Amino acid sequence: MPNSDSVFHPNTQDELAQFVVTNAASERRPLIPIGGGTTSRKGSAENAVEIHLDQLNRVIDFPARDMTITVEAGIRMADLAKILRAENQRLPIDIPQADQATLGGVIASNWSGPRRYGCGTMRDYVIGISAIDASGQQFKAGGRVVKNVAGYDLCKLLVGSHGTLAIITQVTLKLRPLPESSGFVCLGFDTAREIEPVIDQLQRSATRPIVIDVWNQNFIEGRTIQRTLSPMLYVGYEGSERETLWQIQTLLAECKQFAPRIQETILDSSVKPFLFALTNLSGFSLTKLSGQFANRFKTCLPSSRTMEILQHADPYSGFIVGSHAGNGIVFGHHAGDYRAEEAEALYRPLRELVRSHGGTLIFSDVPSDWKFAETTWANLGPAATWMQRVKQQLDPLNLLKPGCLPVS
Amino acid sequence: MTLAVQNPSSESVTAIAATKLINRLREIVGEEGLLYNAEELLVYECDGYTVEKKVPDVVVFPTSTEQVVAIVKLCNELDVPFIPRGAGTSLAGGTLPIGGGVMITLTRMKRIIEVNLRDRYAVCEPGLVNLHLTNHLKETGFHYAPDPSSQGACTIGGNVATNSGGPHTLKYGVTVNHVLGVEAVMPDGSIAQFGGPCEDGPGYDLTGLFVGSEGTFGICTKVWVRLTRNPESYRTLLGVFETVAAATQAISAIIGAGIVPAALEMMDQGIIGALEAAFHFGFPLDAGAVLLIEVDGLEVAVEDEAVRIEDLCLQHGAREVRRARSAKERLLLWKCRKQAFGAIGRLSPSYCTQDGVVPRTKLPEILEFITDCGKRHGLRIVNVFHAGDGNIHPILLFDERDAEQVQRVLLASDEILTKCLDLGGSVTGEHGIGVEKISFMDKLFAPADLAVMKQLRDVFNPDNRCSPGKMLPTAGGCGTESHTHKSHPGRRAAM
Repeated sequence: MPNSDSVFHPNTQDELAQFVVTNAASERRPLIPIGGGTTSRKGSAENAVEIHLDQLNRVIDFPARDMTITVEAGIRMADLAKILRAENQRLPIDIPQADQATLGGVIASNWSGPRRYGCGTMRDYVIGISAIDASGQQFKAGGRVVKNVAGYDLCKLLVGSHGTLAIITQVTLKLRPLPESSGFVCLGFDTAREIEPVIDQLQRSATRPIVIDVWNQNFIEGRTIQRTLSPMLYVGYEGSERETLWQIQTLLAECKQFAPRIQETILDSSVKPFLFALTNLSGFSLTKLSGQFANRFKTCLPSSRTMEILQHADPYSGFIVGSHAGNGIVFGHHAGDYRAEEAEALYRPLRELVRSHGGTLIFSDVPSDWKFAETTWANLGPAATWMQRVKQQLDPLNLLKPGCLPVS
Repeated sequence: MTLAVQNPSSESVTAIAATKLINRLREIVGEEGLLYNAEELLVYECDGYTVEKKVPDVVVFPTSTEQVVAIVKLCNELDVPFIPRGAGTSLAGGTLPIGGGVMITLTRMKRIIEVNLRDRYAVCEPGLVNLHLTNHLKETGFHYAPDPSSQGACTIGGNVATNSGGPHTLKYGVTVNHVLGVEAVMPDGSIAQFGGPCEDGPGYDLTGLFVGSEGTFGICTKVWVRLTRNPESYRTLLGVFETVAAATQAISAIIGAGIVPAALEMMDQGIIGALEAAFHFGFPLDAGAVLLIEVDGLEVAVEDEAVRIEDLCLQHGAREVRRARSAKERLLLWKCRKQAFGAIGRLSPSYCTQDGVVPRTKLPEILEFITDCGKRHGLRIVNVFHAGDGNIHPILLFDERDAEQVQRVLLASDEILTKCLDLGGSVTGEHGIGVEKISFMDKLFAPADLAVMKQLRDVFNPDNRCSPGKMLPTAGGCGTESHTHKSHPGRRAAM
């Protein structure tokens, strides 16, 4: 997409800073930073300029022996993975549409995938960050060493900030070695309720899973993943070949008592397409379904309550739901065009259930008249006020993605 | 009442104001929750960083969040600075009460409120001693991963303020990677909760921002921490090397081979001597350096890793690689490492340790520089540090009664940290900025970086009454002071 009145493609960080300075001093148009455009949470600003960061994609420094890399934020996730793989290293965050998604976008949206149970999330890997605030001021925090407590940790603040506080331009990451092997155990049950005792057992298992996902339904064609309405528990392992195999065997033995209806293992060359499918499934609800609103939602609650949500949102209710069950993250959608009051009736019981467990239910990509979808923020209490103050302080004119987060 | 919020060197609380302050505080915490006599306050004149000293006007020991709220509101009403303190184990003067005022010591808020193994978290009060949490979890199969060397004394709240590390952070990460949420009494006296037991809460990660803010964003009164499964097995190795250079090459080889040990610590000849005298472990006194390497995980995996590490050490010039033969021997090795600073008393009356970080591959360069630096300033410097993270801890030995020696220690420290920056590193990996390294902030960060940080401090702590003089350098100054002189406001206040 060429530059136009509403689209700007900076070639350098300085060029971007200059653009933002000029904008702040003159027209003060809203700015929408965009990486690969794989998430659609753009906010609701009129007369906005889209800042496309995909040309800021240079590798600044890759001291492989130090296991860190410094890159510009517009680098595509797949390109980054390829560079790291050449040195037997990785950033263990599973990203759907990795050939499109950019690092900056993944950081801004705090995306995570199945391996977050064992490998953590972006906040655990970003050790240095450079960004441009709404006035065009370039600033940085952290550094290029793996351990560093100098200054306030603005990396944490910008991870998950959805581009509302500053435009992320450059990042230093801590890296991990590629594992020698990985494998999965897939267990199918009749109901989600039957899975909670299995996850409970996993907390005491002799094995150390890195993935604990549960899905109630999926739409993937082909043999990479089961097509079933039964809820499936996917438990993933990594390590040396011996270690992975031992863990899979051990888990199967430990799970005999639960009498799963389906039991499969995924090993060797099947792992990659399987993980790819699982990752893209978790990103499935990211994209709009044939022009309709996807009615995406995400809940965060204690892991032990996850199966209650899946039980509630069983496939016959029309919900398509997946979860990083070990982390208490449930995401999904309910395809279809609903009027606001219908949607509210549909989601109210789910939200009541989530709240009763101290969790939150967040919507994104819903029609603007779904006013009920915004009220979840009230649950944040005083924290929401502090978030608002942070936003006001760093972006007093509300130029960065206005309307994207209720705090703005 | 003129208090030193803006000017740390100005006079402290006047006698009349102090009496009023103490009377009002007594209403909140009772006589048993107060210290104000000069000889009692002396204990609080410094923390683990003894180079600079300043007594608070009063020390108060709240036992509840409500009491902390009342204390903070009172300080605001009377315009008195306040500073939170845990066990005072900071090695950077993090709890030095610049400008005096009220020191809020949280060691009586030490309850473990909840342990939830199914959801892998615990909730505790800030005064809980780090090790007491892990001891409490014994037999559960879980532990709290961050393990600073001072874990037998330091508190969880202090760890949160400093974003503390420890030997096992190489594999497990530092405090912030294990904190799910905090409750804090904000500098305006309100209570806020950031994060909590659920991951990925909506909005900004204020938990992540709060951790490591060194008490400048508020006073932590409750913490939700992530619990970690205990490893099934350990292999603990001691690689003995002729030179520091050979040992650092072995470190590069281990990491380069894709092994992430749970811990990878180096001790040089100077510290080995002191440790041997203290613990009689059987360390080789003639070795140039030893590496303490631990791998942990499943039994099926650790043996293979240990064998690979042994091979790599031997390939890179280790003269021998020993293994801890029992759990008891492993614990003794870790006791030696974690109490290394205690053993320094055998070497000199005072010490000052630095906390610089360099990219791992620059370790030989920085260690050589430290040796030269010690020679140049006529100081003995020994090293025991987290080599796997590139986090050095040169320990400068001196006698604090000798002002000239103190001056040399400050100069040498300054040079070492400057060199860390030149090598692409940082001045602090886990001890924090405190007062010790505040003058490095404008070397490490550009004015624009510091401006954004100041904007954030202004959000939470606009009057700078909470932990004044910490983290961010004060603007202005007359410009005639030397770098090292400017960097030590507490010392200036003490003199």
